[in-house]
Amino acid sequence: MAFLGATLNTVGLVFLTHAVYSTHEHTATSPSAPLPLDIVIELLASILVLSAGIVLSSPALKPIQWAQWSGKISREGRHGEGKWTREGEEILSEGDPYSFLGLDGGIGGQGEGRRGFWDVRAKRKEYEAWAKTGGKS
Amino acid sequence: MAQTNLLSPPSTISPPTALQLSQKAPRIIANPPTSSLPWPLSLLFSAETPEAWVTHENALYACLRTHDDAAARQLLDRLSARFGESNERIITLRGIYEEATAKNNGELEVVFKKYEDILKQDPTNFGVRKRRVAVLKSLGRTSDAITALTMLVESSPTDLEAWAELGEMYAKVGEWARAIWCAEEVLLVMPNSWSAHAHLATLHYLSTQSSPHLAPLNLSLKNFARSIELNDSYLRGYYGLKLVCQKLIPLLSESSSVSKRNQDEDGPPPNLETVKKLEELATSKLAEIVRRYQPGTKEWQGYDGAEVIAARELLNRDANTER
Repeated sequence: MAFLGATLNTVGLVFLTHAVYSTHEHTATSPSAPLPLDIVIELLASILVLSAGIVLSSPALKPIQWAQWSGKISREGRHGEGKWTREGEEILSEGDPYSFLGLDGGIGGQGEGRRGFWDVRAKRKEYEAWAKTGGKS
Repeated sequence: MAQTNLLSPPSTISPPTALQLSQKAPRIIANPPTSSLPWPLSLLFSAETPEAWVTHENALYACLRTHDDAAARQLLDRLSARFGESNERIITLRGIYEEATAKNNGELEVVFKKYEDILKQDPTNFGVRKRRVAVLKSLGRTSDAITALTMLVESSPTDLEAWAELGEMYAKVGEWARAIWCAEEVLLVMPNSWSAHAHLATLHYLSTQSSPHLAPLNLSLKNFARSIELNDSYLRGYYGLKLVCQKLIPLLSESSSVSKRNQDEDGPPPNLETVKKLEELATSKLAEIVRRYQPGTKEWQGYDGAEVIAARELLNRDANTER
């Protein structure tokens, strides 16, 4: 689909440029004569092809209903979209916007929400215990 | 879902994941985002992005967790060099570093005193105020932590993180009515949050766990139903909905006269038929999630593995009792 979109875009752009150039040349050489029909057809056809190409090569639509949008986040989780920062970290798709409340782990959950109250010593102890057992989960 | 991404770390970090995260730190330390060229050139050739500093901060957390204090110090120094020693966030990060490297409760008390001094100079530094609560919690002084938190939400009533934390502390000591109040405060500011609705429903459900009453279960049912209305694939919401329905069905069917008694401000009790339908819905949706998660369909991998296992056990238990 992406290849087809790119092809249509290229073809459409070539014909559009050609039609525009032809129009310019025609009005420069014979200013009073009306525009020939073939230039008009080329112009319209190239615009149609270009529009189709843009629609085909655009990314998939996102859900616009709240429940579906949030459901998609829950189902798919965060995943990479093929972009990386300079540090080599992949930029992930949108995640749960309410995870900062830390309400997803239940009472006494081990989630990473509520960064402001992060209990660094408990986390260090947890890691220490894990490392002492030989690093087996 | 075992992604080890420093830019957006996973929602739960187990020790192995923490180790993987902190192993990325040397590469980050080796490649500073700021340019070493003199002033006018440094503006042109800087590779600085907001993401770079988020990565630094998360790497700092990961290093502290895995006892890699030397790397943490380097990251902290780079952050303070960039944003200045007196930046509120840097003060907080330095505090976290000192907390982590405190060897015993005595040293932690020293860090606590430092926080008090900082707050005397600038009482509006919320990062430090939250750290103060975290230290109290870490020292096991839960009642002091709760007092400090109530002061905090009094001066900043829209701080949802603090409300959520306070709610959880109350829930831990079994003060359900106050925990529910805090959860409702969160909902006032973020009424679209599905997790906050499910949390409130959980609290209502837990508050009546020893002796099931209709009114709290009714509220719990409503909030779980709202959470799945806001998120059509919310495992936690469906799980809770099923549990509440299982408790409600015997209560509703044994006494049909209850419907007259409980007409208070919480609204009429639910219809038995509706509750049965809701349970069916929850069962089918949970079954779908469990089924799709198993073969590793790419679109269904967002769930927490432990939560899916719990859902499967709930369904199995249900199937066994019906037989």
